[in-house]
Parts: sequence; C-alpha cells; structure tokens
Amino acid sequence: MSFLTIKDGTYGYQGKEPILHGINWEIEKGGFHCLLGKSGCGKTTLLKLAAGLLKPDSGHIYLHGKEMTEPSHECGFVFQSPTLLEWKTVMDNVLLPLSLRRKLTGEDREHAASILELIGLSEHLNRYPAQLSGGQQSRVALARALIQHPSMLFLDEPFAALDAITREELQDDLLKICQLHNTTVLFITHDIAEAVYLSDRVAVMDQGRIIHAEDVNLAKPRTMKMRYDPYFNELCLQLRQIMSGEPS
Amino acid sequence: MKHVKFYSFLLLILLLVSWEMIAGSMSELVLPAPSVIFITLLDGIQSGYFMPHIIRTTTEILLGLFFGGLFGFIIGILMGESEFLRKLLFPYVIASQAVPKLALAPLFILWFGFDITSKVVITALICFFPLLENTVTAIQHVDKQKADLFRMLKASRWQTLIHLKIPAGLPGILAGLRVAVVLAVVGAVVGEFIGGSEGLGAVIIASQGMMDTPLMFASLLLLTFIGMLLYQVITILEKRWLKPYMKETKK
Repeated sequence: MSFLTIKDGTYGYQGKEPILHGINWEIEKGGFHCLLGKSGCGKTTLLKLAAGLLKPDSGHIYLHGKEMTEPSHECGFVFQSPTLLEWKTVMDNVLLPLSLRRKLTGEDREHAASILELIGLSEHLNRYPAQLSGGQQSRVALARALIQHPSMLFLDEPFAALDAITREELQDDLLKICQLHNTTVLFITHDIAEAVYLSDRVAVMDQGRIIHAEDVNLAKPRTMKMRYDPYFNELCLQLRQIMSGEPS
Repeated sequence: MKHVKFYSFLLLILLLVSWEMIAGSMSELVLPAPSVIFITLLDGIQSGYFMPHIIRTTTEILLGLFFGGLFGFIIGILMGESEFLRKLLFPYVIASQAVPKLALAPLFILWFGFDITSKVVITALICFFPLLENTVTAIQHVDKQKADLFRMLKASRWQTLIHLKIPAGLPGILAGLRVAVVLAVVGAVVGEFIGGSEGLGAVIIASQGMMDTPLMFASLLLLTFIGMLLYQVITILEKRWLKPYMKETKK
C-alpha cells in the first residue's frame, strides 16, 4: 500500500478555472518524488493540498490509509523562503515545533544540536537568522522540519534562491538525511536537474494536470559524477521537451 | 561624513551666538538672549522652582503614554485578530482620527476637573491612535508562509498570536510607540494650558501673564529636554529589542 495517496484531487478558487484537475498520485513508503513544472502550473497548490494546508474541492488525500483533513505532526514542511523567526536563535528556531506542543527538555536540546551538527551548523546555535547566509538559513529551515522525526516531508522549492554549489551540497544533505530515516518525500522544483538528481520518480505538471511521470533509475547514494552521466542528461532533455510541449 | 557631528555642533554654536547678538538689540520681552534664558533656567532649577512642575508634567506624560499605549495595543490586537471587530470599529476609528483631539481638552477638563486626571486622559487619547493603527497593521501583515508554517505545526490561535504575530509586528508596534511619545508631550502641555496651576505648560501660561519671556523659554527648553529624553529611551529599547531583526554588520 502506498504511503501518501492523492485521489482525484481538485482545487480552485471560486468562479475561476480550477488550479488542479483531478490529480492522482501515490508515493510508497520511503519514496522520494519530485513534482516538476513551470511557475503557475499549480504545483505549490498541489503540495499544500497534500500537506493538509488546503482542502480539496473534491477528491481525497490519504496518509498511510487515513484520510488527511488537516496538517499532521507526522509531516514536515519546508517553504520556498526559509521562514525563520528573526527574533529567535538558530537553536530556538529548530525547537519551535516542539516548543509549541510541550515544555522543552534537555533531551530536546541535545536532539536539536545533533540535527544541526548533521547539517553542518553546530557552530551557529546561538546566532540569529539575520547573521546567517542564505544557505545556512535554508539548512536551519530543513533542521526545523526534521526535529519532529516526520515520516513525510514536503518541500516547496526550498533551494531555489541558492547558488549552484550550495544547492548541490544541500541536495546531498537532504538525500542523506531522508535515507537515514527512510523519510517519504514530495519535493517541488522547476529545476529539471534537481528533480532528476533527487528523486526516484518525477512527475511533470502543466496547467493543473500531471502530464507525464517517469521513474529515475540512478544508483543510490547519488554522487556528483552522476550529474554528468549520459543517462542523467538524456533524462533531463526528455523532461525538458515534455515541459515545453515538444514531442519526444 | 566623519566630521558631520562636529559641524552639527558648530552650527549650534553659530546659531546661539547670532541669537545672542540679535537679542542684544531687542527688548528682553520679545526675544531674551540665550545667556539670560540659561541663567533663568539655572536659577529655577537651583531654587527648586521647576522641580514640582517637571515631576507633574513627566507624570502626566508617562501615565498618559502607559494607558493610551496599552489600550491602543490591546484594541489593536483585538481588531487585528477579529475581522468582525475590525469592520465594525474601523469607520469609527477613521472618524475619530479626523476629530482634532486637542480640541477636546476643554471638555475633558469639564468632565474630569482641573486635576491631573484630565491631563492624563487627554494624553492617553492622543497616544492611543498611533499604537492602535500600527498594531492593527503589524498584526495583519504577517508573512503568509510563516502563517502557513504555524498552521503546519498546528499552533493554536493564541500561540500564533504570541509566538508569531506580536514578535513579527514588534518593529511596527515600537514605531507607533515612538510617535506616541512625541505626541504625549504635546497632549500633556495642552492640557496644562487650558486648566491647572501645576506643570510646565501651566508655567508657560503663567509666564505669559507675567510677561516673563525668559521663564517661558526656560520652560520650553525643559519640555524639549523631557521629550528628547523619552524619545532616546524608546530608541534604546528599540535597538535592544530589535537587534536580532537587523542584518548585523561584520564584527
């Protein structure tokens, strides 16, 4: 049985052409799926729908068999911008999800510190977000999403604003962490290479519909070299043509 | 830009010297020289004449600022949180903005007497609006993604208010407080103009009656000093509280 199921998901604003038309999608446990599409194709809406931030007009979302009607503590969400709270230190930002639920313990702090270490930020625990670089802020946002051990992670173009090298580093970190915890991931991007590098399966979206789906057969763990592999580039080209509507 | 502060100080000296020279050719009744004003000020402080007035005016300003600011903040939060309240009250807020609030001072003296209460009420009323407006705006304009983050974390409405909306809106709210401080001085002085025998505003009116222009200037100086001091306090608080919000330059 699949872990996350989107069944016939439709969504629109009143009196306007729907943004999403009857989307069907399934992700198995531990799967890493990417939604690829141009701006305005409805991919962020689909992600919010899947995460329970929006309610579908019709259709259903199931998280391991249970219908999802509101956000769940089992899910982590990483937004387009890091959305860190400027008035809290890195440590407190990472602990935010826990501090909203209960009183923090020393264990929680140790746990947060270990995640931050894993992600290469152990020297910046007591800094404020404004003192960090863009890449570091994205890392903190990722650490915050991981603090509750989510079994499902939603990411909305989290690395779009970063430079190429930093982005690649973060992609590797993300893969490493998700593999470690067998996290199921739905990742949104408009960057074809990013989608191919990260995911087991890529869906191409256009005008509120999934127009193509493709399995990515690259060995795990991914290495930098694979980015220059013929198969990698061929797949990128193929997806590129599908995105621009050319026959392949 | 290095010497700007020095030039600024130089300009002050220049202004004072030319004032002194111009004042020499005029009656003290019209324009007293800075030296005369300074002596009056010093005398008044040494003899303890100014002390009760300073205390009175400062008390009015602080109490008015406290109550006006507090109510403005609380109602601002209620209006920012509840669309119903916002729609219900906003026309009245706009209408009351148009009312020249200082023109209500005589009415408040009628209602609350010549005592300190009427001045505090006037000051509070004036301080109320900048806090109200800035709080409503700050509470409403929270980053959409941050609001989604709090929904994703299943934060309650109260938690979202305390942990997101108020701290995120703090810069705007403090800017409102800064405006309120300046207005508070005006409110207290106008209240004292209209009725009362204590406070620096009352001293100004009295000095007008006694044709004691140097005393008038001395009171004015004291009021300016109080205003600047309060403004500085707020600026320091702002700097301290908002430090994490600023992009810090390298150490």
